[in-house]
Amino acid sequence: MHLFSEEFKTAHMLAGTDARLKLLVASGLLVMVLTYHGFLFPLFVGMASLLLCVWMRVPLKLFVLRFSEPALVALILIVIKMFFAGHDELFSVSLFGVSISAYKDGLIDGLMIASRIVGAVSVITVLGFATPFTDVIAALSWFRVPKGLIEILMFAYRYIFMLFEDAMVIYNAQKNRLGYSNIRRGLSSFGILAGSLTLKAFEHSQNTAVAMAQRGYDGNMPVLKHRPFKPSEVIVSIFLIVIMGLAWKI
Amino acid sequence: MNVRKVLAPTLLAAGCSLLTVSDAHAMHISEGILPYGWAAFWFLASAPFVAYGLRRLGQASEGDLSFKPLVGLLTAAVFIISCMPIPVPVAGTASHPCGTGISAILLGPAISVLVAAAALFIQALFLSHGGLSTLGANIFSMGVMGSFTGFVVFRLLRRFKVSLAAAALIAGILADWATYVTTSFELAAGIRGDAPLLPLFLKIMVAFIPTQLPLGILEGMMTAGMISLLHRKRPDLLVKMRLIEPEESVPCN
Repeated sequence: MHLFSEEFKTAHMLAGTDARLKLLVASGLLVMVLTYHGFLFPLFVGMASLLLCVWMRVPLKLFVLRFSEPALVALILIVIKMFFAGHDELFSVSLFGVSISAYKDGLIDGLMIASRIVGAVSVITVLGFATPFTDVIAALSWFRVPKGLIEILMFAYRYIFMLFEDAMVIYNAQKNRLGYSNIRRGLSSFGILAGSLTLKAFEHSQNTAVAMAQRGYDGNMPVLKHRPFKPSEVIVSIFLIVIMGLAWKI
Repeated sequence: MNVRKVLAPTLLAAGCSLLTVSDAHAMHISEGILPYGWAAFWFLASAPFVAYGLRRLGQASEGDLSFKPLVGLLTAAVFIISCMPIPVPVAGTASHPCGTGISAILLGPAISVLVAAAALFIQALFLSHGGLSTLGANIFSMGVMGSFTGFVVFRLLRRFKVSLAAAALIAGILADWATYVTTSFELAAGIRGDAPLLPLFLKIMVAFIPTQLPLGILEGMMTAGMISLLHRKRPDLLVKMRLIEPEESVPCN
């Protein structure tokens, strides 16, 4: 749950910036990364994002954890593209008595996709680190994302922490009683844990509905209202998009 | 097609997938993998299902104030379940279930699409599992294909009087495998470049078999365990959700 830590999200200038602008800039950068044919721009975006994370004092462990899965996916894709796609042979190795070839054009394609992953993940990582979730929700609401989805997101985010604590209590109790000592017991314990969480979700939902109805809930959740755009923030955002657009074009 | 030539690199890629399984969260497509055309296509493909889910949510919550909190809480539960490691025997390590099979069985496929969409959005933004540009593709594979497969299989088996646990087991397995096959297709279509689609799709599927095949079975067992527990502890809930008839409910333990 430390991955969700929002402590450092309020201690820098980006935290106070309008979430709508941050979403717009991130979307713009994402489109640029996805439409770029080459390595340089996505890697440049990745580098800039890394510097921003250092500036925001994002814990290194958190940063590495965020990148571990996309990095491994990128590695698999490089292997798949290198050995499965291409014509220009790079080298040949023998595996289980079979000679297999790696292709130069496949490798280049794979590296291009990997750089795209680095660039795109960096953008979203910075957005996630720089914006508290409630601000993201309010911004999505301003962008007319359907209300039903917004409400589910709000409920889900509110209760993730509570259910996670419940899950950890059950998990630790199971672990202390050797509930995960072998695969059979592990599966049984996990089924009970997941079932207990579902039961708790049912019970909490009933209690929540009663408590909210007592406070005037009529089936619609209010979301944060936005202040007007600050001209300085808008200008900086436009400047940033133009600069990155130029880098993308070059 | 030269089988030996295809087999060796496939084994190599499968080996890589085994190496990475300890960090594999279900089978989401990471941010940035899909070119923008495919990313947009999968958003468009998912949109009608999300819209239908929202309509069903509105209808179901009209007379029941607790329904939206319930969907939100189940989303949180599915999110946490999909973050929990479960052991994969073949790989000798742990991986993570999708959780859409159980949400489709409990809430119906349309609302399960919303549950998946919300869970995927939070995972993308805060855990870098999946992504925002690949959200449409992940909603389609996990939310749409996983949910509808799980729901249809469960209902079909129950119609043939298969026991609750067995129906949940098979529904859970097939929901997971449907997600995996769809994701493989999305991945192949997105990264193929000028290579033919079908062979690459098959190779990607084969490459992920060592992790996804046992993971699907584990997810099925987990789904069956959850449904059995609910049946034992709160049969009234299953009756309310029309999963069992009132006469099938057993006294609480």
